[in-house]
Amino acid sequence: MDRECVSLLPRVCEVLAASGSSLPDDTSLEKLLDWFTGLTKAGTSLLESCPCLLEFISTVVHNTALDPSILSFTLRLTGFVAVTEVAFKVLQESSVLDLVFNLQHWQEAGLWEDPCIRIGWIQGLRTMMQHPKALSFFVQADFLQPLLQLQTDKSLFVASAANQMLAHVLLSCQSVSSVGSNDVDEEGEDVGRSGGSIADLEYSAVTVETNQDYAAVVTAISECLKKSLVPRENTQLHQSLQILKLLALLLAQTRPPLWEKLLQMVADSVDELLVAGYSQLILPLMDVILAAYSSCDVNRRAPDQRVSRLLSFMLNIRKPADLIQAAAAFLRRGLHDLVHTAQSARVLLLPLDIITGLNLLTTTDEQRFLMMEQLKNKTSCISLICVCLTNTPQMTLMAADCLPCPPVLIVTAVLSLLKLCSGDSSSPSSSSSGCREVSRNVIGSSKVQKCALDALTALSGSPGVEVKLAEVFTLLVQCLDNPDSDPTVLQKSFQALVQWMSVCSDLSSITDQHRQDLLQVVRKRSCDIRWEVRDSTVEFLGRLAGVRVIQTTAEEASDASVAVLGGCCFTTPLLRAALQDTESYVRASAISALAQTLAASWQQGAALTQEQTEIVNQLLEVLSWDTEGFARRAVVRYFIAWLSSMSSHSCVQSPASSSLLMPSVRSVLSRGSADLDWEVKVHTLELAELLLDEAFSGQRGYTKGNPTQTHPYAVIPNTLHTRTHNEEDVVGVLNSLVQWGVVSALLSGLVDCDRPVALRACRLLITLREVVCPLSLGALDATAAMATVARVTCELPGCGWAREIRKMLVMKAKDANAEGGVSGGEVVNCDDCGEAGQEAASVGGQTPCVSVCEVLRSLDLDERLDVLTRSSDHVHNSPLSLLQDILTASSARSQPDTQQEVIADCY
Amino acid sequence: MKLYCLSGHPTLPCNVLKFKSTTIMLDCGLDTTSVLNFLPLPLVHSPRLSKLPGWISKDGTINLEKELKDCAGRVFVDSQPEFCLPERELLDLSTIDVILISNYHCMMALPYITEHTGFTGTVYATEPTLQIGRLLMEEVVNFMERVPKAQSATCWKNKEIQRMLPGPLKDAVDVWTWKRCYSMQEVNSALSKVQLVGYSQKVELFGAVQVSPLSSGYSLGSSNWIIQSHHEKVSYVSGSSLLTTHPQPMDQSSLKNSDVLILTGLTQMPTANPDGMLGEFCSNLAMTIRAGGNVLVPCYSSGVIYDLLECLYQFIESASLGTTPFYFISPVANSSLEFSQIFAEWLCHNKQTKVYLPEPPFPHAELIQTNKLKHYPSIHGDFSSEFRQPCVVFTGHPSLRFGDVVHFMELWGKSSLNTIIFTEPDFSYLDALAPYQPLAMKCVYCPIDTRLNFHQVSKLLKEVQPLHVVCPEQYTQPPLTQSHRSDLMLELQPPPMPYRRCSVLNLPFRRRYERVYILPELANSLVPSEIKPGVSVATVSAVVHSKDNKHTLQHGITEVKVEETADGHILHLQAEDTLIQLEEDGTHIVCDNNEPLRTTLRDLVLRFLQKL
Repeated sequence: MDRECVSLLPRVCEVLAASGSSLPDDTSLEKLLDWFTGLTKAGTSLLESCPCLLEFISTVVHNTALDPSILSFTLRLTGFVAVTEVAFKVLQESSVLDLVFNLQHWQEAGLWEDPCIRIGWIQGLRTMMQHPKALSFFVQADFLQPLLQLQTDKSLFVASAANQMLAHVLLSCQSVSSVGSNDVDEEGEDVGRSGGSIADLEYSAVTVETNQDYAAVVTAISECLKKSLVPRENTQLHQSLQILKLLALLLAQTRPPLWEKLLQMVADSVDELLVAGYSQLILPLMDVILAAYSSCDVNRRAPDQRVSRLLSFMLNIRKPADLIQAAAAFLRRGLHDLVHTAQSARVLLLPLDIITGLNLLTTTDEQRFLMMEQLKNKTSCISLICVCLTNTPQMTLMAADCLPCPPVLIVTAVLSLLKLCSGDSSSPSSSSSGCREVSRNVIGSSKVQKCALDALTALSGSPGVEVKLAEVFTLLVQCLDNPDSDPTVLQKSFQALVQWMSVCSDLSSITDQHRQDLLQVVRKRSCDIRWEVRDSTVEFLGRLAGVRVIQTTAEEASDASVAVLGGCCFTTPLLRAALQDTESYVRASAISALAQTLAASWQQGAALTQEQTEIVNQLLEVLSWDTEGFARRAVVRYFIAWLSSMSSHSCVQSPASSSLLMPSVRSVLSRGSADLDWEVKVHTLELAELLLDEAFSGQRGYTKGNPTQTHPYAVIPNTLHTRTHNEEDVVGVLNSLVQWGVVSALLSGLVDCDRPVALRACRLLITLREVVCPLSLGALDATAAMATVARVTCELPGCGWAREIRKMLVMKAKDANAEGGVSGGEVVNCDDCGEAGQEAASVGGQTPCVSVCEVLRSLDLDERLDVLTRSSDHVHNSPLSLLQDILTASSARSQPDTQQEVIADCY
Repeated sequence: MKLYCLSGHPTLPCNVLKFKSTTIMLDCGLDTTSVLNFLPLPLVHSPRLSKLPGWISKDGTINLEKELKDCAGRVFVDSQPEFCLPERELLDLSTIDVILISNYHCMMALPYITEHTGFTGTVYATEPTLQIGRLLMEEVVNFMERVPKAQSATCWKNKEIQRMLPGPLKDAVDVWTWKRCYSMQEVNSALSKVQLVGYSQKVELFGAVQVSPLSSGYSLGSSNWIIQSHHEKVSYVSGSSLLTTHPQPMDQSSLKNSDVLILTGLTQMPTANPDGMLGEFCSNLAMTIRAGGNVLVPCYSSGVIYDLLECLYQFIESASLGTTPFYFISPVANSSLEFSQIFAEWLCHNKQTKVYLPEPPFPHAELIQTNKLKHYPSIHGDFSSEFRQPCVVFTGHPSLRFGDVVHFMELWGKSSLNTIIFTEPDFSYLDALAPYQPLAMKCVYCPIDTRLNFHQVSKLLKEVQPLHVVCPEQYTQPPLTQSHRSDLMLELQPPPMPYRRCSVLNLPFRRRYERVYILPELANSLVPSEIKPGVSVATVSAVVHSKDNKHTLQHGITEVKVEETADGHILHLQAEDTLIQLEEDGTHIVCDNNEPLRTTLRDLVLRFLQKL
């Protein structure tokens, strides 16, 4: 622990004990507790390192006039202090512990009404309860009854904490008993999950007597569970709900003897609850049953007969809404139970079956009738269908024998549901008035449409559904064409289309008519009045270009954009028009989509077209003039994509690319690094990094990416040494980096006021320095070894970032001169460059040159990196600052003249 | 109470309500779909239309070469277009006391009703309805009179001949009632009978009923009507909208507690949501302009066009259409655009507040100022010199049979770059296009009908709870083409009473009460006696005096002494000091110097004697 903090703590305790109301803000106490939690977790004994806490606790606990938040804090703090047995003993001997957790004490003071005291009491106990002594204390003080009462507390937080605590007590008792009875502890993991370290208990600590006490606790809790599970009247539903939550916690974590016992105690009550059929309790009940069931599953025990029976009962309830919920809950668990999985699937498919009339499954007339009646109500129809749709993708991935029908049929059903939604067709079974009433409920419901489209997207991966591609295609195009489709529906339709085409790579079933329809609709949607729709359309064009497909078996693979839309000749004009859009999101999406569309031609090294040149000019204009950051960021990303696709396939210096790419990259670097948006600048640095990677790949000392993240002893692969360290090479590369503007971009980034920008630039500069003029070489060695490299210079114009850099250089030079001697020579030695730098700094006007090496070696990059790596608020968030804040706030309060309002800094 | 239904068109209604001694006509819509059977009237000589072959029956027995022309595989009447009038034989139109107009689209048959039928009543309408209605009538008259046709085709209407004609002429109904367009003189005469009313203004009709217009939210000045007596209330709902467009929002609450609600003018496009259609309109327009084509929008000169222009005003920039010219061509274009700006009190709240700012309520003023929207009375004159392409043209008539639109169809129809976008829901776009086929230009159908849809009307009726609903029969079953859409019909309990053209409905409620006033002197003399707590009864003998459908109880003769004589009876009216001698051979009334009383008594006695 920080010595300074320790020295401040007693005063802080005094302040808190005196009056809590002078806290700098209401999160201070929480922050203090967080600090204590951290210390406890690190194994520090609080009492040993901060003995003042004992006095603090005993003072506070007697002063019931204090602010309840301080009292609650003290309760919780006591828990942390008493977490070790030694400290616990000390607290107990000083009779502090008894008073702190004495309910009567708080009730008499009239403080128990305050929920923060109650929750403090529970959490304090809970933290403390990590050793048998604490457990004994709990049992002997007879805290069980009050805890059980707190379970139905009117404060939700208190009730939930009480529940957690009860589970913790029971699990602790279980562990202690099992140690006492010499049971083999197979499930340390479970105990660990309950947050305790009880498994480490000493055997000797447990006496026969305490064992009986524990058994009594277990029995009391189980009795309570049994008694309170079934509500006597509707107003007690809340209590049942709490008990069910507790039960779910327990059944998931307890082991056989206790597990059995618990289950046996509550089985009848659960039965009773099931028969009573409270809809509000269905999900918690299902949680209990599934917790019990999965506990068998996880422990590879055969499912308990009772649990299986309960589960079967749940999956056959007569209330359709409850039934669907239960089935969905079961399916989500993904348990290995063929019978019940199949049953759940049947339940979940029933609404889809009824509404589409597709005979997906066979069910009893009664079930069908009940479900149909439920579906006639519009609200419940929509919610049931949505639950059903959300689960369909998971269903189709199940084993074939669990599914009542093949996945293809489910796709057909979803398609026919989508048709119903748009009011296009009637379901085959619409002859009955019931079905007509049901299908009427989904007409025009965009909620169902969205769910169905999500399901359809996910269903693309199901086995054997490829045959449906043409049908899906037709329907999605209809959805896209429908004037009433809302923007989200259109977006999801586009996504579904891309997904289906990427999964079903064989597009031979797509006819020319399909293509024409899609072309029309894309053209229309790219002119839509809503920008969200234009944005999704443009995005679609980009994503489609990234999908590889085969049109016919004879043909070669191409991208889907070429296959269905005819490729660039259709897409590019639309995207170029979108560059003029009034909405910046659309412009940004259009730029990304252009990059995706042109990626293929870049990779193939195809010759540049006039159009591409125009696009580049347009993009550079966007970078210079666009008022919104999104578009400008996208432009930089466009060039990143272009450059990386080129460098992965051919050399940067290849004539075809360098004619356009490299000059543009140069403009992007200079414009991007002068941008006002920090993300544009970060992207620009990414572009610079790409150029560095490309220039020095294989160069010794060059580590791609983040230099600070590489381990000092990391083995550098041999391949990196293949290129010999040729100084002439380095000079050439460095020269071209300077020419492209990489060095300027990095230097301007370094002095940027946005930390992410400066950090990235700093890392890259260090990387560059390590290749060009590593600091590991002594100053004189370096001078000698890099005489040629040092001649590479870059310009430092007289304004903005360059002035900052110059100032830094001058400062460095002054420092060096002051130190004198050898280190002074380091800078001055570089003949005219250093002087030129100095001159320029004082005179200004002309654009002087400095040696890149000199700059890199003089900027104290490592120190800078160290500062930049720490977050800007690292000082403000330290415990020391917290303690100081508390003290300052209290002194400000005691001297009202100098009182200033402290603005709360939220956590 | 009876309802006579003179029109079968659900959105162009014409009904007559007989309610307490009054005869009220509710709207007089003109069904103009009949013009689709006629050849277009080209403004500029069209070689194509002038050289069409005449029609002769296959066996050669019927030769109507002069009247019927074969055009694009269909037969059209070559004559000035005619309209299908409301039924005029069902009741004597001269007995109509008043005509209530709900919106400017529903008054186009007014001259046919008020002129040459003996009509002597009054027409009630709001000011925008009158002014814009006048513009629409003027426009139609102008369209027709600009291209006069010498001949009038009548032979084809002969029942025997019509039976032999190819469809759809063969299936046209009531062709003998079709009439040519009225003249401007008739329009002026008809409109001179209009009396202006404001929303919620109460108009007494002969003291029998009170009528009052309510805002219906559909168009400038559009209204629903409440027709009520002291104990009965009939609501007439016609062309209402709940969407937020330019007019004042619909007043729903005043429709509550109606005994009968006559429901007409629901949307003609229940499956086309206006917002979606507006989006379609804009994207198709932008798509065409970007590709270098022209856009033609056949539309009425008032109504949805204001909303279209407003929507385009916002869309122009985002779709980079800033340089594309928008033309609005109509003989009344200027008046329509300007009228819309001055009816501030009839606009929605949002636009009303703009009146207090230095900006006009509708943004089309700015479009005009910045020269993006230009308006012309016709394609002749200034327009021809300033016309630039690609452009967007708004012009009438939406039937494509007359007006400047005919010229643009001939001009642009052959290029696939151009697009025609239909926004008015009144005409089937395929029928409208029939005489122009084969057509290379792209056709887009985005009917924008802001009137209530079935979902909205169900909600409305749940809210206002009328006892009975009367509606066109079309609303009681799903549309023919979408028989599975049971959501596209009215399902009510009790079921609505359907009507069709020429129906006469006995409205299912009886008048049971009438309000009678008691004069204060009479009321003073009453001696009520309490028969149970809160209920007192008194006997009244008085005279009922009825005038202007108002009934008043007045003091009459109260004390009469009857004496028997040998020959008969003597009645002594003591207060009046009058004797009535009734004898076998003579009756004498002895009245001192009160000649009026004597005459009244004489008449009364005579009436009784006659009854005996």
